Amino acid sequence: MHDLWARGELSNYVHHRSGHRYFTLKDRDSQISCVLFRNDGVRLGFELKDGQNVIVYGDVGVYRPQGRVQLMAKGIRLDEGIGLRHLQLEALKKKLADEGLFSIEHKRSLPKYPERIGIVTSPQGAALRDVLRIIGPYPARIILSPAQVQGEGAAESIAMAVRALQGRADVVIVCRGGGSTEDLWCFNSELVARAIFECDSPVISAVGHETDFTVADFVADVRAPTPTAAAEMAVPDIEKLRSLLVQATVRMKRSLWSGLERREERLEYLKRCISAQKMYSLTEEARQRLDSLERRLCAAESERRTALESRLEQAEGRLAAVGPLATLSRGYAIVRSPRGLVLSSEDVQQGEVLELILAKGRLLVSVVENKAVEEVYH
Amino acid sequence: MSEKDVRLEEALDDLERIVEELENGKKSLEECLDLYEKGMRLVKHCHARLENAKRKIESLTGELPPGLD
Repeated sequence: MHDLWARGELSNYVHHRSGHRYFTLKDRDSQISCVLFRNDGVRLGFELKDGQNVIVYGDVGVYRPQGRVQLMAKGIRLDEGIGLRHLQLEALKKKLADEGLFSIEHKRSLPKYPERIGIVTSPQGAALRDVLRIIGPYPARIILSPAQVQGEGAAESIAMAVRALQGRADVVIVCRGGGSTEDLWCFNSELVARAIFECDSPVISAVGHETDFTVADFVADVRAPTPTAAAEMAVPDIEKLRSLLVQATVRMKRSLWSGLERREERLEYLKRCISAQKMYSLTEEARQRLDSLERRLCAAESERRTALESRLEQAEGRLAAVGPLATLSRGYAIVRSPRGLVLSSEDVQQGEVLELILAKGRLLVSVVENKAVEEVYH
Repeated sequence: MSEKDVRLEEALDDLERIVEELENGKKSLEECLDLYEKGMRLVKHCHARLENAKRKIESLTGELPPGLD
């Protein structure tokens, strides 16, 4: 018979010098001798011990020297004794996963600075002490919601403790120290899973050791490998927080000072711009400009005068040339009667009084005799 | 809400915003001084919260086991 599986309890275990292992596999009403040859034993991965429940895979043969039927093991697995429970667990996981309880979009991020930290665990457990040690001096209210974390009724107790924190915490740590698969089993319950899922604040699960995974871990917003790690995730590092405050102070001071400096520089610059010297040089410039304008104005004025004067002189000359004065000064006179200029003797009567305009002065004369035109000599 | 009741998270968020506003330097001097004053008050408040913290542990049901602090 080849490639069959046998389940039972291990007894009479002998690890022989040759490297072969001999034992008896038995259950309530039967037993069979088994051998695990050295070459097959290399892949075993755990220590065989009397009393272990195991599942053996191998071939059945006969040990001829003694005429004994034996099972020649090719592989051995620990039988957790939870075959059925295991199937149930897988079914639950599948159901919850299908409902979306594990899905990433339901995962909430943890608050950076929680004010109220809820802890669901046993008040007597080492896990609580680990968590409190890590939270240390971080200023938060710690609300313990006691739960029974193993044994009969543990799942109900944990679920109730989680629900009791409703509205009372900013973050919840559900934790338990290490234990057997059996001990941790309550964290695989649907009750606990739903309570965690429905919790109104983010939940960190930390059940057992790093290698233990429970349904609670899948539903929780964050899974921590250990209670200590869970506490580290829940609160910020207080030293970092302190240095953050110091940094903020330094940055504020620096930017305030640099702002002041910048303004001082600007003020300094503006002050330079309107300094007395600068103002003086500005007025000096204006004054010079005024002077030059004045000079140019004066020059233009006198030039204009000279031009006018010379024009006047010219006009005078030309006037003199065409006017009567020059003629009169050569001995001519202008004769006027009350009717106007006298150009002909015919214009006047004998005895009439006429006005003579000479080069210098005037005379009133009386006409003694009126002679004909032809008698006058030019 | 009195200053004592301000949550650490809020105070730190406010502080961060104030530091950034001061650093980008677009505010008037008056406003900068106000911000600075406010920021320093927040720093003081946070420090006080950290230094004077007495851890308060309470239990929702039953007595706390002795020696938890």
